[in-house]
Amino acid sequence: MLTPRRSFLARVMAVFAAACVALSPGGDTLAEDGRDRETTATVDFENDLIPVFTRFGCNTGACHGAAIGRGGFKLSLFGSNPDADHEAIVHELEGARVNLARPTESLLVLKPTESITHGGGQRFGTDHEAAQLITGWIRQGTRRQALKSLVRVQVTPRRRVVESLDQTVTITATAHYSDGSRRDVTSLAVLIPEDSSAVSVKPGSGRVRISRRGRHIVVVRFLTEVVPVELLVPLREQPVDLSLAPSRGFIDDEILKTLATLRLEPAPACDDATFLRRVTLDLTGRLPTPTEARSFLANRRDGKRVELVERLLASDAFTEYWTLQFARLLRIRPQARDTQGAETYHRWLARQVGRKTGLDRLARELVLGTGDSHEVGPANFYRATNDPRKQAELASEFFMGTRLRCANCHDHPLDRWTQDDYHGLAAIFARIETGRVIRPKPSGRVIHPRTLEVAGRRIPGQPEMPDTSADGLKRLANWLTHPDNPYFARAMVNRLWKSMMGRGLVEPADDFRDTNPPTHPRLLDRLASDFVEHEYHIRHTLKQIAISHAYARVASPRPDQPTDDRFHSHAIRESLEPEVLADALADVLGISERYGELPDGTRAVTLINPKTPSLTLEILGRCDREISCESSLAPTDGLPRQLHLLNGPLINARLSAPGSRLALLLKAKRSPHQIIDTFFVAALGRHPRPREMQFLDAELLRSPGAEGRREFLEDFVWSLLSCREFLTNH
Amino acid sequence: MTHHATRGRSDGAPLARRDLVRIGGLSALGLGLGDVLGWERLARSEKRSGTGQRASSCILIWLDGGPSHIETWDPKPEAPIEVRGPLESITTRLPGVQLSECLQRTATIMDRLAVVRSVTSPLGEHNFGTHYLMTGYRPSAALAYPTIGATVAQTTTRRPVLPPNIAIPKLTGKISGNGYLPTSTRPFAVGGNPGKPGFQVRDLDFYKGLDIDRLGRRRRIVEAFDRFEQAQAASSAAGNTDLERAYNLVASEEARQAFRLSDEPAKLRQRYGNGNSLGQGCLLARRLVERGVRFVTVTSSGWDTHQDILKLKERFPTDRNALIPSLDRALSALVGDLGDRGMLEKTLVVVMGEFGRTPKINARGGRDHWPGVFSVLLAGGGVRGGQIVGQSDAQGESPAESPVTPADLATTIYTLLGIDPATELHTVDGRPVRVAPDGARVVKSLIG
Repeated sequence: MLTPRRSFLARVMAVFAAACVALSPGGDTLAEDGRDRETTATVDFENDLIPVFTRFGCNTGACHGAAIGRGGFKLSLFGSNPDADHEAIVHELEGARVNLARPTESLLVLKPTESITHGGGQRFGTDHEAAQLITGWIRQGTRRQALKSLVRVQVTPRRRVVESLDQTVTITATAHYSDGSRRDVTSLAVLIPEDSSAVSVKPGSGRVRISRRGRHIVVVRFLTEVVPVELLVPLREQPVDLSLAPSRGFIDDEILKTLATLRLEPAPACDDATFLRRVTLDLTGRLPTPTEARSFLANRRDGKRVELVERLLASDAFTEYWTLQFARLLRIRPQARDTQGAETYHRWLARQVGRKTGLDRLARELVLGTGDSHEVGPANFYRATNDPRKQAELASEFFMGTRLRCANCHDHPLDRWTQDDYHGLAAIFARIETGRVIRPKPSGRVIHPRTLEVAGRRIPGQPEMPDTSADGLKRLANWLTHPDNPYFARAMVNRLWKSMMGRGLVEPADDFRDTNPPTHPRLLDRLASDFVEHEYHIRHTLKQIAISHAYARVASPRPDQPTDDRFHSHAIRESLEPEVLADALADVLGISERYGELPDGTRAVTLINPKTPSLTLEILGRCDREISCESSLAPTDGLPRQLHLLNGPLINARLSAPGSRLALLLKAKRSPHQIIDTFFVAALGRHPRPREMQFLDAELLRSPGAEGRREFLEDFVWSLLSCREFLTNH
Repeated sequence: MTHHATRGRSDGAPLARRDLVRIGGLSALGLGLGDVLGWERLARSEKRSGTGQRASSCILIWLDGGPSHIETWDPKPEAPIEVRGPLESITTRLPGVQLSECLQRTATIMDRLAVVRSVTSPLGEHNFGTHYLMTGYRPSAALAYPTIGATVAQTTTRRPVLPPNIAIPKLTGKISGNGYLPTSTRPFAVGGNPGKPGFQVRDLDFYKGLDIDRLGRRRRIVEAFDRFEQAQAASSAAGNTDLERAYNLVASEEARQAFRLSDEPAKLRQRYGNGNSLGQGCLLARRLVERGVRFVTVTSSGWDTHQDILKLKERFPTDRNALIPSLDRALSALVGDLGDRGMLEKTLVVVMGEFGRTPKINARGGRDHWPGVFSVLLAGGGVRGGQIVGQSDAQGESPAESPVTPADLATTIYTLLGIDPATELHTVDGRPVRVAPDGARVVKSLIG
């Protein structure tokens, strides 16, 4: 008697409303008066009622789902704990929330219908089906009923390319239950667009409308399940033909496929100077030396770019720079009054990077590291935190690119992780005794905050380990480094991709999550399996990226193209990291920076202690590694930084100090043109363009005399070091 | 801007894309749009209950270390000597209200001041107490909260030449300042010692050999290079706004003048306390507020008096710059000066530290940490002066009536500044967080 399009809620209502009720075609409006109707169908607390709380936002973190509840009434976040919810509704407040004698006068109905004052306002009217469902449940005796359990939610479509704007897409959600039954729960599912200025949702209908071109994600939530839907509207009307675009393998193939879908044309290839500077910075954290720049620009051989990439990958500078990258991820830093451990750790890490150790082996050594942390580098992995829970967070972040931490206090609202996963992983790490000597601690336990009992050890998403098993860490290491592990290789290649391409396929790079799908899912899969096939060698993957056409495009979008910040139709500019910038400034100025008591000439990228005294690095905004550095590399307040660059000693004191590049050139009586050219090559890896030279000539004319010329050249060098081209890897 | 007040939507303006990413990212923690609307409704209803901006700026005098309430705003002349301590108390312009003997000038302007004598907190550790008092939130391992000044900076939409949140000479090291907000909301620290004759703000004055012409040339060359590069790349990109702001600050005689204490008449400088860093800091704060800066923190350190409480009054014979007399001079001069200029109504002045001190003098003649009850002083900016709010008990040990939490204080300060305490800001991962904690109340009797 009901059409399939009618919602599940409508059906429940239709069944328990004895009288036949006229339903509007969309199922949005309901019977005007259901109060006195006898209900016949049993209302299932878990599967019928809780979805209503979720649908109307009652159990969100901003309302009663907050850790401390709201207005004295606490529901579990998105209904993840039905027992607690039932208790809160039926028994707390001496049962005042439900009125068995007069169901319609229960607080549980009066509040959301705002029949009495409700901090959250009116969620639905008294005649809404939701209100009737609640009163029906109370009338039936407020039973804690779960007739079945939810197995999964099937959402269709998962991905849809929509030709034009303002077209409606209908998303349907079907719940699959343990008893084999299925129900259309579209009307109860909550659709959350990632960008609601681009995608609008008609609540309860499953219908979404896209008003902006591009790729959009809509997260569908039903009970505790979340499923992302990807909606794409090509960025232009005119199709583009990229079948002839050059490709150097699967990276280009996948990137071009997405560009074609979105109808974006790739930007042209960058010139040699740009490529040299970009790839040298990305692989080694250094500017190309003037000698390298001159010889690379003069080199006419085919394949010189590939040769360059190979040379860089084999250099010591590569090892120094990538040691810094991993040191940051692992948060290598001295412990209170103990710098020895960090030094041993750093040396070990540098050796692994230098020796081309695969990341799988690196991961195993970290997880299984024991012994005196002053002698055994990887044992220091367990000194980065002082608590098994924090260790679980660090491990999930580093090895899986996942923020497990939300699951400390409640099941992760946007991912598959539960409190059992979080505390289960912490329980594995509890069996390690930390301190200077890292050793097994068989008695180590953590308490699960919900059960208040000892948490069982569990690899995230896996069954609990038997309590007797003594090899929890080994199991974890085996699981992480198994070729089929779905997290480790993907998290790692995503970071390599981000480091080269300016944006992770998953972004932020430490936020892999069911509801945060990659921009190029298939590319991520292929990069990961290629990485596994090549024994987890970072140099292999970095090389594949560095020699792709996608890597070598100009950084500026073509003016006739729509904006693209994630599909790699052009290169993405990144600001130089604080340590790289500090070294680059020293290299161009010709005077190195002093770091604490360390010998003159020490480079910032090689510093082990992230708190080595350095006003320069403070001003440039280095990460102190106390917490994750992945999303906190943002520079410090721009104003003090810029003021300092402008008026402070960081650059000014070295501009023409004795021994500086400028002082030596002046002493050698080089002409202003020669000096300008030398600095362009040192800072930007290219010669000045005629227009730039003309502009500088005009400025120079206004500065007569030797002193005037020196001041002008100082100002020129300062400006060169402050322009966008210098400050980014363009 | 990546963090916006959710309530910014109440005008119907669309949220910026990145906000939505955040909301999407977390609505997670749970905010569907429906909720946003619900909150707006709530916020509006609270608004009806009578909030509205009274103060356009706030000067916070932060007594770092935890000032003794008994030696300042809440003397206990009737208590036994081990509680009363070595200082006498004096009458004030308010009948029946006494202050410590060192606060003679302040006593004469009590009709313009309000003292809350029943502030209470459970946190007797410096970092925790600082966090609670400066942010209104108890510290949590999960989230660092922004100071009131950072929230003010975040919610200020005007971008004048001077930064909206400034610290003199800097914020206490016990807190980062911006919490979960962008580091750009951290106070701009002027550095140095305003009490010293040659006081200057770091990097504001020209580096040796530079002048405005050379800085102008540098800016010109940078802009030309950036322009050429854009043209070369046929792209469009925003200019270097930081360089522009820094240059404008350095180039603006008016902005630089804001920091130039030497422009003040000698007599006025003397009134604030010649050569005294707290006094001159307050004078500088007045100059900044006068030029539209919204939040200025003046930090005075050394209030952690575990021994020899008398040093608060005098460190050596004829000492004029001990902490309490310095505060007395600076505060009375500031309130008087603001009043003379007609700025007091629009400028909220708050004097506080992270907690009070133990009621009983310890074996070393000092007092230890005591958050159970302590006092906070407020003036101007819509605060009804001439009153004592709440009371501590006879020993100065706990509130005897009307306890006020640091969360209540923050709520009151936000309200006076015209920021709805229910306004939501977003953490980096998209969690919506109220500027002041839910459940905290405005101290109504403070608002006149």
